[in-house]
Amino acid sequence: MAHPSQLGFQDAASPVMEELLHFHDHALMIVFLISTLVLYIIVAMVTTKLTNKFILDSQEIEIIWTLLPAIILILIALPSLRILYLMDEINDPHLTIKAMGHQWYWSYEYTDYEDLGFDSYMIPTQDLAPGQFRLLEADHRMVVPVESPIRILISAEDVLHSWAVPSLGVKMDAVPGRLNQTAFIASRPGVFYGQCSEICGANHSFMPIVVEAVPLEHFENWSSLMLEDA
Amino acid sequence: KVGSENGLRLLGILDVQNTPCAREAILHGAGGSVAAGLLYFLATSRVKRSFDVGFAGFMVTTLGSWFYCRMNNAKLRVQQRLIQEGIKNKVVYEGTVMDPTKKGKAEAPSGPS
Repeated sequence: MAHPSQLGFQDAASPVMEELLHFHDHALMIVFLISTLVLYIIVAMVTTKLTNKFILDSQEIEIIWTLLPAIILILIALPSLRILYLMDEINDPHLTIKAMGHQWYWSYEYTDYEDLGFDSYMIPTQDLAPGQFRLLEADHRMVVPVESPIRILISAEDVLHSWAVPSLGVKMDAVPGRLNQTAFIASRPGVFYGQCSEICGANHSFMPIVVEAVPLEHFENWSSLMLEDA
Repeated sequence: KVGSENGLRLLGILDVQNTPCAREAILHGAGGSVAAGLLYFLATSRVKRSFDVGFAGFMVTTLGSWFYCRMNNAKLRVQQRLIQEGIKNKVVYEGTVMDPTKKGKAEAPSGPS
């Protein structure tokens, strides 16, 4: 999860997010070098004693500052497009979960084998147990098996919402009347937090998403328990 | 990332401590910059132009070191994923006809008695 005064991304919990982190580092280094170059040029221009009022053109520098940005853009675009298409791959999901956005909670349906569905409300601050996170905990977590491709079908019952979990590298709008699809693989067991990412009313900030990735055996036990409770 | 809020951020943006390859690239760039600038100055005795050459050396060395390190890291990541898949499949296929360690020891189909 996020920690106070955090500037960077959360640790990756899915292969796609790992790739996004690496691409971000790559792009940031390029941005850093360009910023350094601009800073150096500004300092050089401010401190120079040279003045030449009769410079009209210079083919060499024109070529340099045309080709160099083009090369830089290609260096950024190629890995970017690679990740873009990587994110669209859906490779034979093991499980399909439907996430429906409501004002102001999420509901999850696991209907592949049995009819399992439950609502996920935020735990109010006054009801938090010691060690739980304010505005992030939910009463029922979306439990998924670890290392399994999961397909999520996202929609909404009333207004626009958005299902987002930063550490999994997933964000998809929940649009009423539309079914959006995304997929992820949780690379490691853990609890991953997200928050609704589309303004949806008074309690938009109070409908978090909690994904719990567990080994398959634990997932099966959990789903059996949930079906018994239902 | 552990300690990312305490990491040194060059120009306020580049976290050199927690970004893989960043620290090495910047250090190599600094070394390349000093070397290039110094050599040019020794050859020409032009101070201002030496700073320009030194800065160009910084850019080229940093970029070169960065891409070289990232390329190696990417290759290692691919190998790591292949190994992980191999280990996972080994567990899944172990004892079955698809077990690669059972080549040559595959059970022969039983013939008519």
